[in-house]
Parts: sequence; C-alpha cells; structure tokens
Amino acid sequence: MMTQTFQPAHVSGTPFLFFTGKGGVGKTSTASATAVALADTGKRVLLVSTDPASNLQDVFGMELTNEPQAVGGIQNLFACNLDPEEAARTYRDSVVGPYRGKLPEAVVNQMEEQLSGACTVEIAAFDEFTKLLADERVMDDYDHILFDTAPTGHTLRLLKLPTAWSGFLDESTHGASCLGPLAGLDAKKDLYAKTVQALSDSNQTTLVLVPRPDTASFKGAYRASQELQTIGIDNQVLILNGVYSPVQNEDKVSGAFAHQHELALIEMPAHLKSLPAYTLPFVAFSLTGIANLQRLFNEPKWRPAAAENADHPLAELNSLKDMVEHYSTQNTRVILTMGKGGVGKTTVASLLAVGLAEKGHHVHLTTTDPAAHLADRFEGTGGDNLTVSRIDPELQVESYKAQVMEAAGPLDDEARAYLEEDLRSPCTEEIAVFRAFAEVVAKADKEIVIIDTAPTGHTLLLLDATQTYHKELERSTGEIPVSVQNLLPRLRNPKETDVLLVTLPEATPVFEAARLQQDLKRAGIQAKNWIINQSLAGTGTTEALLQAKAYSEWPWIQKVSSELAERTVLIPWQAQDSIGYDKMKQLVTK
Amino acid sequence: MTKVTIYDPAMCCDTGVCGPVVDPKLTAVAAAVFSLEKKGFSIKRFNLSNDPAAFVENKKVNALLFEKGIESLPMILVDGEVVKTGDYPTVEEFAEWFGVDAAELQTVKQPSNPLNVTIASSGAK
Repeated sequence: MMTQTFQPAHVSGTPFLFFTGKGGVGKTSTASATAVALADTGKRVLLVSTDPASNLQDVFGMELTNEPQAVGGIQNLFACNLDPEEAARTYRDSVVGPYRGKLPEAVVNQMEEQLSGACTVEIAAFDEFTKLLADERVMDDYDHILFDTAPTGHTLRLLKLPTAWSGFLDESTHGASCLGPLAGLDAKKDLYAKTVQALSDSNQTTLVLVPRPDTASFKGAYRASQELQTIGIDNQVLILNGVYSPVQNEDKVSGAFAHQHELALIEMPAHLKSLPAYTLPFVAFSLTGIANLQRLFNEPKWRPAAAENADHPLAELNSLKDMVEHYSTQNTRVILTMGKGGVGKTTVASLLAVGLAEKGHHVHLTTTDPAAHLADRFEGTGGDNLTVSRIDPELQVESYKAQVMEAAGPLDDEARAYLEEDLRSPCTEEIAVFRAFAEVVAKADKEIVIIDTAPTGHTLLLLDATQTYHKELERSTGEIPVSVQNLLPRLRNPKETDVLLVTLPEATPVFEAARLQQDLKRAGIQAKNWIINQSLAGTGTTEALLQAKAYSEWPWIQKVSSELAERTVLIPWQAQDSIGYDKMKQLVTK
Repeated sequence: MTKVTIYDPAMCCDTGVCGPVVDPKLTAVAAAVFSLEKKGFSIKRFNLSNDPAAFVENKKVNALLFEKGIESLPMILVDGEVVKTGDYPTVEEFAEWFGVDAAELQTVKQPSNPLNVTIASSGAK
C-alpha cells in the first residue's frame, strides 16, 4: 500500500471534519495537531470535543466549556467541550429549578434523579451537537469545525442518532414519551434534518478514521467505516497514526516493534486499503501543548534521550504475578479492569483470569466491551477452572424486550406498537446491559468474577446507572432480581471487590484513569491498584527513538506509583498480544 | 363524561420500561390508558418529570403531596376528586369509572367502531 505522510491540506476540503477511532489511537492528538496546523495557515478553526471524558483539556492545558473560546497563543483557533453530562446537568437545573419550594423536597429530588438517567444525557448531547452542526451563524464564524469524537461506540451512537431520531419522530404515533425530557423536540425537526444532510454531504463532511497500525484498531476502524457508510457518510480518509521506523541502535525490541506494524499493515482489511490513506510517524514526545502539536508535521521525531532519566527504581514496582498472588491470598471475589479505551483492559483481565485459574481458583471472565475481542484471545482454549462469557449489548436488549413484552401480557396491535416504541428509547440498552452486568457479578458467590469493562464513557454511565437504579428500585413494584439488589453493596466492599485502573505510561490515559478514580470514589468505590501496561521502559530497549519514548514514560510511571496508587504493576511492552491460554499462562506465572 | 386524571411519579417513560425492572402493573396501565384514549374517553396522565407544573397547579394534588409526600404518587382523580393514592387503578376500576366492560380494556381485538362504544357507555351511566 502506497501512503504518504499526512498533511492538514489533505483534509482541508470540507468545513466539517470528524475524527473517529478506538480509544487510545491518538484521535485527540491528531485532531488537535490538524486544528493547530489549519489555524496556522490563517483559517478560522473550531475544535469540538464531544467525549464525556474529554482529553482536549489536557492537550491544551486549559479548562474548556461548551462555549467556544480562544486557545492560547494561536490566532484563529477556538475550542469547546460538549460534555453531554454537563449539558444534561444544565438542562436538569433549568427544569427542576422553578419547582423548588413549590413541590416537596422529596418530590423535587425524585425529578432530579429521573432526569439524571441515560436518556437525558443522550438527548442533551445530541441537542448540543445539532446546535453546532445546523447553526449557520457558527458556519459563518469558522472555516473548519473539527470534532474530536469519543471512542467508537459512543461516536457511532452520536453520529447515527440523527437518522435514528428523524426516523423515530416520523414514526411516532403517540408523541414519543421517552423523548419527553426535552420538550418541543418536534419543533427541532428541521434542525435535525439539516444535521443529517450536512453529515452525508461529501462537500461538507470528511470522516477521518484514525487507527494505530495494529489489528484490533484496524477492526474498530473497519466497523466504524462500514457502519457510517451505510448511513451515507461516504467521504472517508484514513490516517495511520504512530507508524514506527527505527533511527539507530536497532535491537530485538525495535525489531519486534517494527515487525508488528508491518504485519498489521499487510493484514489490514481490504476495505480500509481502498480508502485514501496517510501516515503519521511514531514520535517520542507527548502531543500536548501547541509547540509539540506543531512539531508533529514539521520537526524531527525524536531527540536524544536525557541520560539523567536513565536509572529509575523499576524493581520497586510489582509484576502481574504479584497481583495474582495478592488476589489469591486476599480472596478477592470481583475484579474490574477500568481505564481509557485501548489501554489493554481485556489483556490485563485475561492474564489475571489465567493466573488465578492456575492458582486453583474457579474463575469466570467476561466483557461488556461492545467490540468484544475476548473470544479472539482464547481462540477456543481454556483451563479447567476458567469459564469465559461476553455481555452482548444487542442480545441483552433483545432478551430484555422479550421479557417486557411477556410481562405486559396479551395486547392489541396498537398497544403493542406503543410499548415497542418506548422500548426503542436509548436507555433500553443501558438497562439491559446493566442487568446482565449485575447477573455476572452475582456469580461471585461461587467463583472469582473478572470483568473487562467497556470504554470509559460507557463505563461511567454504567456505574452511574448502578447508583441511580439502585435508589429507584426502592419504590418499584416489579420483581427486583437479587443480583441487582446486591450489586452496589458488593462493588463498594473492598474485601470483595477490587477495581484495577489500567493505563499506559502517557499523559492522557493517566489523567483519564485518575479522573475515573475520583468518579469511583464519589460512587463509594475505592480504586487503589494501578496497572501500567505496554511500558517500553520495562523492555530495556536501546534503539534511540524507542529509548527516547521509554524515558518520556518516567514522569508518568513516577506519578502513578508515588501519587495515585497504593500498589503499582508495570507490564513491559510485549511483541504481540499473548493469544491462547498457554502463552498467557507463561506470561503471568514466570 | 367521566374524567380520569393520573398523576405519575417521576418516570422516564409512561410504560416504565426504562426502569430497572419491568413493572407489569405499569405496563398494563399504559396499555389500558392507551386503549381508553383510543375509544374517546377522557383520560389524562401527568408525569412528574415532564409536567411538574401540573402538580403545582392542581391544589388538591399539591396539598396531598405536601401532606403525605412522595408515597402518595401515583394519585388518581376522578372528576376532580382524589379516589386513589400510592397505587395504579386496576382494569376493573377503570371499567367501573367509565362504565364499560373490563374485558374490553384487555382485548386483543380492536373495536370496530370506537364512537359507538362511547355513546353506549355514557348512556349506561
């Protein structure tokens, strides 16, 4: 495949640019660097983040709100953060506020709680997103609007919404009750139509798929590309981010690193090969701050590593084997791996599962990750003590719907249609997945349960949901499954549950995991143990570019082990994902 | 004609399917209300999350809410008088209030002419 190095001019043909890809591929960096470069050519540029756990603030080192604001030092560059949860909060306050004092406090609290659900967040996010896309004033103000979209699942939902909702409004027979939280939705129909139109117009919108050169991230890009093509977004380009080539002192690690990239490129899905493709090089510096972002397209990709960073007390950190030992002796029943998408939550969960099974424990491993590559990992193998399952959101929704329809009893056609329509609301999936999650956790009575949770935004909603629904249960007259009743107390009990924060030794995933740690704390869950995955510092490589990168990991390893974690595990970068039980066993028991 | 008003607690949707567990009672109520509306009866629901104003405007509802708190929801009013609190009407109660056959509200078959049903039921009252 012939590819050239990406330059912002390659995508400057349309006013709207969407960057999409699996978490951790560098979407935010690529979008930010492109925005800075376009602004440098004199264009007026707005960079928008729609991620509930946005990294844009970390990239520019400033607080962002949903109002565009100038980004320091650059002419013509503006940024804003459409945090859907913040938008939902604002909406909630505007609804509830006027009734304080006019209704009893408990009643007002109930309203507030109800408006904190997934529905409100989804709708609020879409509303913010639409306002920008269909607002001619905004169009007049900027030459380019770049969307640094959230991890794949969320992006798809966000981008798919316009068609889904337009259809929803057309078919609506009883004034869609689940859209109730945003009154006057129907009046915005024109605005939504405009949004749909802008998205599927090749003269207006470019979809930039950002994968890293690895198989898992190609799979994600492939899915996103196809799915978006089916809803009419045809103008797509591919940017391969972080393509490595050694500069000097090649060694075993650098050979394996380069080989992995080559291999992935050869195996890239044909569909992706057919798109216009560009590359961005692997760089040793962190893509934060405007100076570094400008360097990406211009300057050398590495500088000799600072020698004073060379010796650090790696020995003080734990290995994954130590962690297995810890769980085994503490008799931990539930282990959740959390972190930004793409940091290796599935890998860590799988390795722990194998390690604990080898210690003689009965282990059940499951994933709620919509991308679900857990099955790929075991390739049909497995030990006697280990069972593997997957929470498939689609299947869960189907079975939940069937359950609701059955509970409703015999209905005439119209009543059935009415109920089915409510079941099409965005919160149905949240609830269906949540219930399955609770059921898996309930297995911990008999075996150790390890769950590799979904990417961040989704996970947050899931945990948020645990809390809200738990309160709601107290007043429902329906049958409350025992698994649901026991869930939150169990997650909050540190003797039973451990939430492991997984990160890479880089700025963004560390910040992200630290925020997760805070969020969990608010939900009454203490996450004290951290895993630093894919560390080049742990490999002892001497190749110049990789070594420079390895040294740049130190501040982050330092920060995690001394400020954030009680126990820190460091996993060195590995030549390839350990596939199959026996390979994983080697890794976790040696 | 009889007027029935239901003041619901804060819910995401009227069918309650967005809750953590499916409440069969709520699903049945939603279906019954839907079919009564179709037949031309006067029946209205206010959901606390969507229509908080209704809970302030109706003095009886508001007073009861302050007196008995959130437990008084759902609250059912027939012709402006509170007839039930803290629970939904049964299909039989609906039938009694509107003077129709309970079986009609649970039917799988649709009435061929809704207008006739309305006349017949008001005549029977």
